[in-house]
Amino acid sequence: MIGPGVKIEGQITSDENLVIEGKVNGSIIAKNHEVTVGKSGNLKANISANVVNIEGIVKGDISGTEKVVISKTGNVLGNIQSPRVTLEDGAKFKGSIEMDPDEKMQSELPVTSVSSSNVLSAETARADKKASQA
Amino acid sequence: MRFSVQTIGSASSKATPATLPSNLFPMLFEKLLVGERLLVLDLGQATASTVQFFNQFKCRLNFVDLFSADFVVNPQDEATHEELVAEFQAAINLPVGSRLDICLFWDFFTYLDGPALRAFIEALDPFVDSNTRGHSLGVLNARNGLPYCEYGIQNMDYLHQTDRKGSQLPIYPHSQRDLNSLLNYFEIDKSRLMPDGRVEYFLLENRNQTATPNRYF
Repeated sequence: MIGPGVKIEGQITSDENLVIEGKVNGSIIAKNHEVTVGKSGNLKANISANVVNIEGIVKGDISGTEKVVISKTGNVLGNIQSPRVTLEDGAKFKGSIEMDPDEKMQSELPVTSVSSSNVLSAETARADKKASQA
Repeated sequence: MRFSVQTIGSASSKATPATLPSNLFPMLFEKLLVGERLLVLDLGQATASTVQFFNQFKCRLNFVDLFSADFVVNPQDEATHEELVAEFQAAINLPVGSRLDICLFWDFFTYLDGPALRAFIEALDPFVDSNTRGHSLGVLNARNGLPYCEYGIQNMDYLHQTDRKGSQLPIYPHSQRDLNSLLNYFEIDKSRLMPDGRVEYFLLENRNQTATPNRYF
């Protein structure tokens, strides 16, 4: 654990699970392990781990081999790459999320028909557009 | 470049229902190939429900909260069209060469006047092609209030909406005819009047005017 009174600048490589409550500027790598940024954690760092949990503030890109979870107190500015990403209600996130679920999940995509009640067609819209442009 | 501002109040003081049934939203996903990587643009805040929904897709989900962008919240009256386009381009910030599959505009168009909407559409142009589809909400006239909401996706048939914090921005209702004109290369392929007076739109890129209408019905 990196306590709230600790500030680290540089790269952290970990062979065990890591909890960060302090400040880190740099990068964190824990390939086969879990990284948790606690509520008092404040990072300007990229994170690469198996599982990443964010409860504090992170400015940087996050890569999770298995999953990334941003909890309700989390605040992330950056890009996320992981097969599964969870954003809890109240979490703040700005950036992009690259997700790639396994094939089983994709084959279960919902198929929904569209009812036509109250639906106007493009034909009407196109006529309106022509009238507007005239 | 801003003209007269027509401000109308929010729909009512009643609490906004948490869900909003959508007939047109599923059309965004028709004809998609299973396993195809989607590029999605969401103009609203990142919400738990939207992220959860897209967990079932191989996709890149880009959240660009333009509702809170400074140049949208505090527009400069003297901004030129070129300056507005540049502001939108910087905010959208997609990689060069990206082609969007799905655009979730929510009710953003209603918070832009004509010149600003034209600038936004121009800024988005490089990322739109014939496969791009969009979904939007709006109001047709000032008689219909617009709740101040942030939106998410509950499932294929229901959107999730929650009251948005802060003061509602001025609203610029666009008639469907005006909107169709302002959207330029986008065409309102389908629209649906919703029970509360809002309208939802399904948009297709239509630079090629020979596209077949009513392709889904």
